[in-house]
Amino acid sequence: MTWLPYAVAAWLFAIGLYGLASSRNLIHLVGCLSVCQSATYVLLLGLGYRYGSIAPIFYDYPPGTPAVDPVMQALVLTDIVVGATLSALLLVLTVQAYKRSGTLDPEHLKPMSRGGDKAAPDTSAKHPAR
Amino acid sequence: MSPRLRLAVLGVALLALVPGAAATIAHLPDFGATIAAYGERINAIAPGERHVANMVSAINFDLRGLDTLGEEFMLLAAITGTVVLLRGRRGETLTDRAMRLPGRAILPRSEAVQLTCRLAGPLLMMFGLYVVLHATVTPGGGFQGGVILASGTLLAYLGEGYGGWRDMVRSHWLDALEGGGAVLFTVCGLAPMLTGAAFMQNVLPLRTFRDVFSGGLMLVENAGVALAVCGGFTQLFLEFLEETREADGPEEPGEDSA
Repeated sequence: MTWLPYAVAAWLFAIGLYGLASSRNLIHLVGCLSVCQSATYVLLLGLGYRYGSIAPIFYDYPPGTPAVDPVMQALVLTDIVVGATLSALLLVLTVQAYKRSGTLDPEHLKPMSRGGDKAAPDTSAKHPAR
Repeated sequence: MSPRLRLAVLGVALLALVPGAAATIAHLPDFGATIAAYGERINAIAPGERHVANMVSAINFDLRGLDTLGEEFMLLAAITGTVVLLRGRRGETLTDRAMRLPGRAILPRSEAVQLTCRLAGPLLMMFGLYVVLHATVTPGGGFQGGVILASGTLLAYLGEGYGGWRDMVRSHWLDALEGGGAVLFTVCGLAPMLTGAAFMQNVLPLRTFRDVFSGGLMLVENAGVALAVCGGFTQLFLEFLEETREADGPEEPGEDSA
């Protein structure tokens, strides 16, 4: 079963892609992207793990004790922080798309037209004020 | 393209990728058997060379500090984009009251929630500071601690409501924190060059191993990251919560909701 963590990473990535392709809601879409991203966490941490090793912190154990790969952990750490802010950016774009077109369904998004969105007034009737 | 057709295309593409993925997974090192040589060398050398116990911090702030500088500016760019998009639509004016959904009852905050938030907020901030300060000795650092600090400010929103949160958190300070943190990190890279050293070379005294103040320049960089992450995440919370504030009037012609 030495391949299991890598298979989990591949499965996470595939299920995220399925979600991205079949999504009918932009917020759901951002969530699916996060699932895809977590596949990279599993892959990196799986690559950096070694049985019988300690965490790469030599406070309680003297330096020289076998430890897992610190490079992978540093990569995942920065990835999580930047990923969180990027999710925020995508959610803001979702807010803007909803305000423009009145729908969260990517199927119903229309190309932007020059001179503003003519459809804005009548969609506000379908989706009354929050 | 209909959803069904799109899923069929995706299915075909995934099926075509399966042999490649299987072959790659078969050739990866066995899980838990070994780690990359680079990480092994860092574990062996960095405690002696940099006097720090936390290898992840040593990589983030020293050995691969240039990469972290890039991450820092990605963070800055993402947050700037968020703020510009939200604020550009909303305008710069501020009000003190949150928006109310018409017809929804206004429930006063229970005292239990208020008390819990007032007690837990400062404690959480203290824990965040602890995590930031111990970056070079125990698990922690500017990234994790900065996010914990930012979450502490959210408890103020939960406990005091929108008005109290607005009184406490000033947008200008957050801008200064976010930008100042990024500037501090950049200065940490450039300042050693004034002494003739390389970019981001650790020129400060390294102090003793397992000491809170060990690590030299790493401590300053860590503080810069903590400031930037704390300011940036609080800025994100602020901008999203601002979306719920009561509008002064119609924001744009032809649109009476916001």
